[in-house]
Amino acid sequence: MNRTLYRCLLRLHPGGFRRQFGEEMLWIFDEASVTQGSGALLVDAARSLARQWVLRSGSWKVAVALAGALIQVTIGGLGHLLFGPLAERGPLRSANAAARIDLDALIQIGIWTVSGIVLSVVLLAVWVKKFNARRIRAVHL
Amino acid sequence: METDYARFLPLAPATLHILLSLAGEDRHGYGIMQEVARQSEGKYKLGPGTLYDNLQRLMDQGLVDEAKRRPAGEDPRRRYYRLTPVGRGVLASEISRLEEVVHEAKLRLRLPDTRSAT
Repeated sequence: MNRTLYRCLLRLHPGGFRRQFGEEMLWIFDEASVTQGSGALLVDAARSLARQWVLRSGSWKVAVALAGALIQVTIGGLGHLLFGPLAERGPLRSANAAARIDLDALIQIGIWTVSGIVLSVVLLAVWVKKFNARRIRAVHL
Repeated sequence: METDYARFLPLAPATLHILLSLAGEDRHGYGIMQEVARQSEGKYKLGPGTLYDNLQRLMDQGLVDEAKRRPAGEDPRRRYYRLTPVGRGVLASEISRLEEVVHEAKLRLRLPDTRSAT
């Protein structure tokens, strides 16, 4: 059971790493699970999985880009809902009034989306700075 | 041409232990794990994930290489690793650096320095 789980964790590793070291890691599991216990080896494999995908494969950049986009959309949408024309308007009275409100809404969405972009860039810059500092500390310790 | 070892320093604990375990002889992955545990008297244990993550990086940097020679009748899944001349130079530089650190620490903490006696 534990061996199957370990093999599954290995299969989830990036292809290059798995092809290069997967069989050896499984062999070590066979050898070491008796003395070290399979629980510790499973935890190590899970950590390795996160490390290979997050730190080594570069796919974290996609996750960060998606998070940034999500922040922008959320701030743009929330800002528009809370502070835009929708929050203030009553029943529509004429086509002209509706057109003016649509233009206002567009401007509001634009303003809030730009604010979201600025905020996500600031957050990303702070996070990258802290992340790099942590990595440099880890390498040099 | 002289290799600039300083750009690899200081080494992370896992890297130091792996290079040290390969200094005496070529070893397979499990052998490295066992040797690291022995060197540290069981205080520092490497898991296979940490080991192969470091080995991959060390091989990319040219400090460790896969050994072609392997004992007859070995499990084919076992691959042996060896220290390259650059890896040996980096390890020697790190040990010198650590000696300086220990010397400085003993001076500051007013502990007896055993370096001149050896």
